[in-house]
Amino acid sequence: MRLFLIGGLSLVGGSVVAVVGFARSAYMTETDIRPQQPVPFSHRHHAGELGIDCRYCHSNVEMGPRAGLPPTETCMTCHSEIWSNAAMLEPVRESLARNTPIQWTRVAKLPDYVFFRHDIHIAKGVGCESCHGRIDQMALTYRAKAFTMEFCIDCHRDPAPRLRLPDHITDMAWRPTANARKEGEAIAAHEGIRFGELTHCYVCHR
Amino acid sequence: MKRRIDHQSQATAGPRVWAGIEELSDDPRLRALIEAEYPAVLELPTTARRQFLKLMGASFALAGLTGCEKSSFVAALPYVDQPANETIGLPRYYATAVLLDGYAQPVISTTHAGRPTKLDGNPDHPVTRGRSDVFMQSAVLQLYDPDRAAAPSRHGEPVNWSDVESAMGTMRENWRADQGDRVRLLLGPTTSPTLLRQIDAFRKQFPKARVHLHTTTGLEAGRQITTAVYGQAVDLHYELANCDVVVGFDEDFLGPGPDQVRNAFGWSQARRRFGDRPGNLLFMAESVPSATGALAHQRLIADARRMPALVEALASALGVAGATKPELAEAEAGWIERAADACKEKIGRSLFVSGLSGGIATALWVARINQQLGNGGETLKLTASLAGPSETGTLAALVSDINAGHVTSLIVLDCNPAYTGPGELELGAAIARVRSSLHIGLQRDETGEKCEWQLPLAHALESWSDAKAVDGTATILQPVISPFYDVKTAHQIFAMLLGETDPSSDAAVRETWRQNFGDAFEVRWRQALHDGFVEGAAPFVTVPPAADATAPPGTAGDLDIVFQPDPTIWDGRFANVGWLQELPKTLTTVTWSNVIAVSPALAKRLAAANGDHAEVAIGKRRINGPLWVMPGQADNTVALYLGYGRTRAGRVGDGLGYDAYQVRPDAEPWLTQGSLRKLDTRDDLPVTQLHHRMEGFDFAREVSPTQVKEASGHPSIDQASLYAKWPSAKNAWGMVIDLDSCIGCNACVAACTAENNVPVVGADQVRAGREMHWLRIARYYTGDIAEPRSFFEPVPCMHCEDAPCEMGCPVHATTHSPEGVNQMVYNRCIGTRTCSSYCPYKVRRFNFYDYRAPADSPTHAAHNPDVTVRSRGVMEKCTYCTQRIEAAHVAADKENRPIRDGEVVTACQQACPTKAIVFGDVNDPTSEVARLKRDGRHYVLLEEQGTRPRTTYLARWREDETESRRR
Repeated sequence: MRLFLIGGLSLVGGSVVAVVGFARSAYMTETDIRPQQPVPFSHRHHAGELGIDCRYCHSNVEMGPRAGLPPTETCMTCHSEIWSNAAMLEPVRESLARNTPIQWTRVAKLPDYVFFRHDIHIAKGVGCESCHGRIDQMALTYRAKAFTMEFCIDCHRDPAPRLRLPDHITDMAWRPTANARKEGEAIAAHEGIRFGELTHCYVCHR
Repeated sequence: MKRRIDHQSQATAGPRVWAGIEELSDDPRLRALIEAEYPAVLELPTTARRQFLKLMGASFALAGLTGCEKSSFVAALPYVDQPANETIGLPRYYATAVLLDGYAQPVISTTHAGRPTKLDGNPDHPVTRGRSDVFMQSAVLQLYDPDRAAAPSRHGEPVNWSDVESAMGTMRENWRADQGDRVRLLLGPTTSPTLLRQIDAFRKQFPKARVHLHTTTGLEAGRQITTAVYGQAVDLHYELANCDVVVGFDEDFLGPGPDQVRNAFGWSQARRRFGDRPGNLLFMAESVPSATGALAHQRLIADARRMPALVEALASALGVAGATKPELAEAEAGWIERAADACKEKIGRSLFVSGLSGGIATALWVARINQQLGNGGETLKLTASLAGPSETGTLAALVSDINAGHVTSLIVLDCNPAYTGPGELELGAAIARVRSSLHIGLQRDETGEKCEWQLPLAHALESWSDAKAVDGTATILQPVISPFYDVKTAHQIFAMLLGETDPSSDAAVRETWRQNFGDAFEVRWRQALHDGFVEGAAPFVTVPPAADATAPPGTAGDLDIVFQPDPTIWDGRFANVGWLQELPKTLTTVTWSNVIAVSPALAKRLAAANGDHAEVAIGKRRINGPLWVMPGQADNTVALYLGYGRTRAGRVGDGLGYDAYQVRPDAEPWLTQGSLRKLDTRDDLPVTQLHHRMEGFDFAREVSPTQVKEASGHPSIDQASLYAKWPSAKNAWGMVIDLDSCIGCNACVAACTAENNVPVVGADQVRAGREMHWLRIARYYTGDIAEPRSFFEPVPCMHCEDAPCEMGCPVHATTHSPEGVNQMVYNRCIGTRTCSSYCPYKVRRFNFYDYRAPADSPTHAAHNPDVTVRSRGVMEKCTYCTQRIEAAHVAADKENRPIRDGEVVTACQQACPTKAIVFGDVNDPTSEVARLKRDGRHYVLLEEQGTRPRTTYLARWREDETESRRR
């Protein structure tokens, strides 16, 4: 009888662990997947090796909710001059010639019921790397962090140690110092971050 | 936990409040209805319970499946060449206009990624001042109507525009032979300078062609009346803001129509002139209760035929020359005496108005009284008639021409005479007889079906055009979306008729304004597009009423039959717009149907109840439809509402209600005589007035200036609570609704629907009490059924600080924000509906089904992308437009400053034409909402429940004088 109870309980406990583990697995959160793209665009090359600023292509990121994918015209500012005949870039040239958008596959996607805004996060000292990981080291882009609610709310509950000064927003190599909390609190005070108000439902869900 | 309704009569000191006549008769069906949280559950027989549970089980299983989201790796499509100033994810705003009866309703269109999702009045425009009506709010859904004509057709077979062009070439050759002698143009009213110019050009090319005007909602009747009264066709403009006293005779000037927004604004300005008493007085004599009548402090009920006599009696009391005093009933004499008293001292500060059913006789005396009291030029201004074209023939003349075989070509532009023409003229048959006929309209409707060619018209939001608002200020309409069907604008089609090949969409409009703007054309054109209007209203004219004019005597008969446009679908043109069909109509709260409104006395004579069918006979023609017993209607007057009974409106609007045009006489389109007979059949009308009932008393309050004065200095006692006071963030959002200003127009409900993606559920679901509106305009009566006082009370979520719903939810799907907003989290909701049963205000709505349109429906484009589109099985309710609050937070936080008062405007507040709704931060003592919460008329709905709601009310003013007379 006791054996039965223990067996039953461990079965229940085991299933809970399994379900939670499954829900958080890379399979479910779709991290580390490098989807097929029409052009094998390398952030490592452009952002890392060439050092092009994130905002050169994602120019919308400080103004609005979305970072925005660069219009074909942006690609062609350089690629009409260099690698202008590369076979790899054929879809880009075709897009411009036919006036049809390039069909990228989205990597960083939040569910429909999450209303995320890039502009406010950047304005308040959240770096690109905090959510997107080391983009500058990705040959093919993948989702580095699991966009679970826990991931978002951990920071919304306690933003201070994760904040950085404006000149480090796009800095991929920035690491919090040992004094991160104190520095973050200073930034938060300066930026007027509304502690305690960032975790209520309507901040992200509407 | 039995819910009771009868305790209100014992508990309240005020007059008994009732919502519907069923309540007065203590109908047992009503009791059952009220005891059920959602009435439809009642109709499930007990044996259906097992079946119900089985179905629920199945839907739970399915709900689990839908939880598995499809892959998040979806396509992302950037621009090829991103437009300058475009910020992805943020809307852009364009000034343009939509049309009602040919008049411009100037709007600002909110456009997300090239698709308009929301229209609001243009805040800079002198007519709308940022305010809206239901038609303006819903025009965006009409744009995305899946039943619009998508391509030109001939006898119903799709053709292309080059076929049309070559056919027009042949027609033009034929017309040229006899100078257009056999061509007829039939159009609805228009104020477009470009279209009027094109019509003139057409007349010049074909001098013998004749133009006929077809109006459904009174432009022609208004012209006839003013021509008889003033000697020329003029438009009347009421300056209600300058009035101390308004006396109306069957004129619903605050009701729906092109000038509703303007009138409502002026009215509310006058009403709020003083802080401690009402700013004006309204005397209304009316046969059929109207929104305006509901606000009157002295309302006289009289049959429609009595109006000329009543106004003459008043003229005689005011000493107008030539007026004789007719015989009056006691109530009539008292009303006239009080109205005359109120007006005597008010030289240039009063206004007399009359409606179309009163005809020339009433309008004549009204004009003379206005003249006598010096109101001309002060409270009543005249302009030359704005809508054209002028020198037009009538519909009857057209039909006789067709029947005599004089017409070989007929061009019908933007009107639907086969449906809206008086039944006796048999227009559909006549049109079908014409050899070549062209219908130019949004839909292949009843007329388009009868015509050889149907040419699809671009919606106003897709068009380059121009039009004038009711004050004569012109707006240049610019397209806010490129046409997604193969359509052309009226100007393009007219240019084709004038012989141009493939005219561009803006050439004709530019041409008109090039003449107007002169050398500075480009600059002024851009400025006009930016502003949304061209400075300069129509000039006022001064015309005295003709002294010797007389009115034709009226005929006497059985019953007075009055025709009125429908409050939500107007003359029928909005029949296929679901948002408008589902809006509860002012006063009746009927949805999805029209009714035959009769007085309680007549209903008693017929032994009829709401929904019983009756047959109305006018002359030889008959129709039958459902009856509605209208409290406060004149005994022998019957009201028929236009706009229903359509057969080619589309999948939403077909086969609803009855077609009042069938019995509408051509000679007497607004008031006629007829008879009524009760039938044995009945309809279950989709009525909302008894749904979502609150338990309690004194919902809508009235106070007199003396009461306010006496009560000041006695602040209301803060009710004790076992719960700790809710800790507040910097901002604490709250709302105040002024019942004195509410005119029950539904603009707030329509705006909320558009802003918050509120679904349309259909007539059957409304019958089941499942309408989804986040905001209802409750309508209450007090007093006797024959002569009640009516109240409008908008009820959104109260955002209680101690919210019962939050205590009830087993899964914390509804929670409280630090700013005091009661939040609803759709993803957590498991659909127990406990919150709704705990809510004393009955403002929560449950998605019983997935009400979303099919995946391929164009109506999805109307959705606001900042608000979740809800699925089946979740609760929803007013969020205080949280998406707008959060947008304001982001804007303010980015600039590191607090949110300013007036920066967050809810959709209902923005739409309200009388500014009855005010929203803001109650923590800021200088904010408008905080100021109003300190007003003497401020009260809390169901305060005894101790919920501490953030939405509160200002009571309606009651005249001290009325009160003393009442006792």
